[in-house]
Amino acid sequence: MSIFAVALDQPGRSVVMTGNEAVARGAIEAGVGYAACYPGSPTSEVLPTLAQLGDRFNIYAEFSSNEKVAIEGVAAASFAGVRSMTICKVDGFNVALDFATAVCYSGTRAGMVIMVGDDPSAHSSVKEEDCRFLARTANLPVLEPASVSEAKDVTRFAFELSEKIMLPVVVRCTTRICHASGNVTLGDLPTLEKKAAINRDQKFVTNVMFAPFMKSKLKNVAAMADTSTFNVYTGPENAQRVVIACGVSHTYAAEAVEMLGLGQSVGLVKITNTWPLPENFLLKYLKQAKEVVFAEEVDSFLEDGVMTLAAKHWEEVGQIRFYGKNSGDMGGPRGSYAGELDPDIVAGCLGKIFSAAYSAPGFTNVREARELVSSMPGRELALCAGCPHRASFWAIKTAVELDGRDAIVLGDIGCYTLGLMRTGYNLLQSVHCMGAGVGMASGLGKLDRFGFRQPVISVVGDSTFFHSVPPALINARYNQSNLLCVILDNETTAMTGHQPHPGRGVTATGKFSEKVEIENVLGGLGIPFTVHDPYDVEGSINVVYSLLQESGPRALILRRACALVAVKGHKKDRVYVDQEKCAGDECGCARFCSRVFACPANIWDSQSRKARIDEAVCNGCGVCASLCPRNAIVVERTV
Amino acid sequence: MGEFREPLNVIVTGVGGQGNVLASQVLAAAAVEAGYRVSIGETFGASQRGGSVMSHVRISREKTYGPLIPKGHAHLIVGFEPLETLRILMDYGSPGTSVVMNNRPNYPIGCLLGEEKYPEPASIVEAINKLIKENYVLSATELAKEAGNPMSTNMVLTGALSGSGLLPFDTGFFTGVIENLFAGEIRELNIRAFQKGVEAVRELAMKK
Amino acid sequence: MNSAVKGPEDLKKEVLDRNLCSSCGLCVGMCPYIKTVRDRAVMIHPCGLKEGNCYRVCPRTGVDARVMDNAVFGSERSDQALGFNRGVYFARALSPEKARAGQYGGVVTALTAFALEQGIISGAVMAGGSPSSPEPFLAKNEAGVTSCAGSKYTAVPTLTSLNRAARDGMENLGVVGRPCQVTAVRKGQQIGRENPGSLTFAGSAGLVIGLFCFWSLNPDFYGFLREKSGGSAIQRVDIPIEGLTLTTAGGTATWPVDEIRPYIREACQSCIDCTSEWADLSVGSTEYDPAWNTLVVRSGAGQSLVNDAVEKGIIEIKSYPEERLPILRKAVLNKKMRVLEGSGGPGAGYITVGDYAGEVKKQWEVLQ
Repeated sequence: MSIFAVALDQPGRSVVMTGNEAVARGAIEAGVGYAACYPGSPTSEVLPTLAQLGDRFNIYAEFSSNEKVAIEGVAAASFAGVRSMTICKVDGFNVALDFATAVCYSGTRAGMVIMVGDDPSAHSSVKEEDCRFLARTANLPVLEPASVSEAKDVTRFAFELSEKIMLPVVVRCTTRICHASGNVTLGDLPTLEKKAAINRDQKFVTNVMFAPFMKSKLKNVAAMADTSTFNVYTGPENAQRVVIACGVSHTYAAEAVEMLGLGQSVGLVKITNTWPLPENFLLKYLKQAKEVVFAEEVDSFLEDGVMTLAAKHWEEVGQIRFYGKNSGDMGGPRGSYAGELDPDIVAGCLGKIFSAAYSAPGFTNVREARELVSSMPGRELALCAGCPHRASFWAIKTAVELDGRDAIVLGDIGCYTLGLMRTGYNLLQSVHCMGAGVGMASGLGKLDRFGFRQPVISVVGDSTFFHSVPPALINARYNQSNLLCVILDNETTAMTGHQPHPGRGVTATGKFSEKVEIENVLGGLGIPFTVHDPYDVEGSINVVYSLLQESGPRALILRRACALVAVKGHKKDRVYVDQEKCAGDECGCARFCSRVFACPANIWDSQSRKARIDEAVCNGCGVCASLCPRNAIVVERTV
Repeated sequence: MGEFREPLNVIVTGVGGQGNVLASQVLAAAAVEAGYRVSIGETFGASQRGGSVMSHVRISREKTYGPLIPKGHAHLIVGFEPLETLRILMDYGSPGTSVVMNNRPNYPIGCLLGEEKYPEPASIVEAINKLIKENYVLSATELAKEAGNPMSTNMVLTGALSGSGLLPFDTGFFTGVIENLFAGEIRELNIRAFQKGVEAVRELAMKK
Repeated sequence: MNSAVKGPEDLKKEVLDRNLCSSCGLCVGMCPYIKTVRDRAVMIHPCGLKEGNCYRVCPRTGVDARVMDNAVFGSERSDQALGFNRGVYFARALSPEKARAGQYGGVVTALTAFALEQGIISGAVMAGGSPSSPEPFLAKNEAGVTSCAGSKYTAVPTLTSLNRAARDGMENLGVVGRPCQVTAVRKGQQIGRENPGSLTFAGSAGLVIGLFCFWSLNPDFYGFLREKSGGSAIQRVDIPIEGLTLTTAGGTATWPVDEIRPYIREACQSCIDCTSEWADLSVGSTEYDPAWNTLVVRSGAGQSLVNDAVEKGIIEIKSYPEERLPILRKAVLNKKMRVLEGSGGPGAGYITVGDYAGEVKKQWEVLQ
């Protein structure tokens, strides 16, 4: 449905698509030729969209091994005259930042866009981070669309802007744009030929002497922003109360103003150029305002910028009372600096600031229901039924207990991060960023001189491995560190939506490619390794235990396809509990399958008082069957 | 045909992995076919791993709204899971809200671990009925199994929503969308599941 | 039984944390929470239950000797050294290959293979592998039994194989084990009789052949063997009273017993069953003539098997030399007294009831 809409050649038609698709469409309309990314929520769907349409629109789209490599390839395409785009989440932008802070000095040629997805409330992240500060550090302009529709228009415009100033432009989106859907009016599709060439006398050099030139480009952007139709004021003339908002917070603010009935007295400024700011445009409204409220996510970037602007022009602007994150007046239940905004939060805050009463419609007789709900369990994240990581975590946990030396188990980023929680037996003790677990393990593995005797295990996924693990392993080998690197190879980049990676042998377009085998990488680095199937829990326990008795850097690949991928399109093996063999609470296993192993498909039937398999959820892996002490779980293998 | 509110706010809620995203997309596409503008707010990603999920679908004649429905402003709630339905109703509903829901629980890990108890689904439905007047309760998972696969529960509920008369456009728009979206066996399965939902909800409506 | 309301927490406190586990293996597999590593059992996850068969079957949580004698033999012992028995003999296998493969007279190998071949048992749970890397083994035929021939001097958790086979539905399994393993199986069978629904896999055990055992060695002994063998394949390990004899492809060498002492398991210091007092029959060395074993026939089932085996020419038996019996009894009673009179360390005297210690002492004094 949506891919069809993204490719439609019907300028003027209004179609529904997601924010990510809108960005892809904007790039296509701008004539993008080269796109590269490492998957990161909330932006993961942009590149597959471009890849699917690659033949149709002559776009090269790749999944890169990490965001640094992605942005470098994208810049190179720009240098060669091909419009290009890289897409990442803000955590990925951190990885790309080294290059971003350099390429602003060398400048670019063809339009280059960096689409960054921030994740307020960290719905799919381990932290909230505001990429706009990084963009400013990298001297790159920031454009923030406020809706799905704008995501397309802003992206398309970003390429033009980038080409004009010969700098990459950051298009900053958030989860509620990327994963939202809305109507988008299609523009016309590109007709120009895409040609790549670099002359021998062209140079792309990072040198501090280019700084003044670079800064002058930014001044240019600010001047253009002043007259851009993307920055908009709505509301009464000469409003003394003004709300300045950017991104999706603008839509929340607009709805909040309406809900509070303040449309006659409060003006609303939409800023799309969050950096550099359209100073003259803003000063117009700052001069008349006595109270200014800021609505933005994640940090006080726009707020700080506007307050600095007001301070610089203090004589013209006069006294203004500012409300925002700095004052603690704009934020949700977790305060100004944590959590996303929404129309209710913005309405609540504006109501307080402007003393306008707002009572949301709702229930008055809800006490009984609230009691029922508060007695109801919350939902923790859980590994999917059949997930090989569950089996791996149980095996590693068992081996660690058997070893008895309090082994430290470090985690990393991916589905397996859930090993920090109950669903993974609270096995992992840390998570930071891609590949960090192995770097940390390399450090722990050198602390023996300080009396550190605990074995060190670092758990990473296959995609994480290709992203950033080899440098840490090289370090471990070079500095002779004692660590066991367990690679949970579920043969996909699962958490972000099952994208392929270098170990898969297939590219973003689904075409065949040479596999980069993890074994070959480890072998090449001189790291001894073992491979095992985590579904064989007994065997895995023995392997991990043996490896814990060794020293030096070593690796274990626990390889088994992600359950969701394995069952897709296939009939699942039926797994059920033999109600005769299951002894329920008489078993003495203390409800191991449903209570301890806790695969979501292992449930306890409170009627029969026995274990049961929830067939709507079970993926047929059979691991629980191998662990049942009474052999009461039956697997009917179809093959 | 349902009365139209501007915008009409529908929340589709359930547990990650139940297919509520697809249901909300089908609903939105049907609305677009019927000439409306839509806005959808989703949460993807980690929610697949057993977390609560909801899709906010806003259907409008005039303009595109923000992706999130303010509290108390949901007119319709489609609940894939009883616990989530009640949770969402309490926060986003009001006495005039109507509900179409599945009565089959999905147990959170806290319940599996024996630390928390999942209440009887009947008491959840009772609590919902105390708050609102119009509630269509279906054994959607059973109907999906009858249609051929429990994974088609989302299409059963979509059918129930469309056949309930709560929307200002009829089931024909939905079937058109489903036919275009899918092919082969999946298409047949989804159409069957959809029809079962339509029939089931109409039966319930007659009894009222 | 005095262990009515005890369970895993108590097992941990009273046995595991005090380093008393004898690595019998019976507690492994009844639940997913206990596993063995090296020479002990480990709880890998707390089950949270107050009661458990893990505590009840453990040979180190107490045995009522009188009750057990009655349960297994229908009668109580009069000999506090050797326990209840119908006769003590010298025995040896008549098949030269079994005699060669086996330790001393090869009686365990011969009788187990015979019982399997005769259908008396459906399989045999034994310690297989080699002396430097032994592991529990389920033998399903004669070749399998022979592959397990030769003493293993370390604490192999053989009963994990019993539990695994029982979980797979096998019944009437033969068990060849150390005294602690025999005790565990008998405790398990007792539970099975008292509470038929209760899961202990011991009910799947049929014939039990016990070994003589004064101590077993900890896994560091493997390193010792590796060092002494210099990398050559180990053909036989023999530890008679004098010390260690090691046979490799390169020849045979001996070391005095003092070199082995550091590897003796602490838990074994407090064990007072040296001859597998509740097996159907017990087999050990003679410490006298390496061509023969000492054979103690205890139960009716044990007697039938021996009679059959003699009749069919599998083994030959002769009376135990009269002048040697007091030597054997004294060695056993010495160990029991060491344990009962205090120098045995924690856990000493777990065999109780009546004046067990007094009875033992009386018979020990006679031999001084």
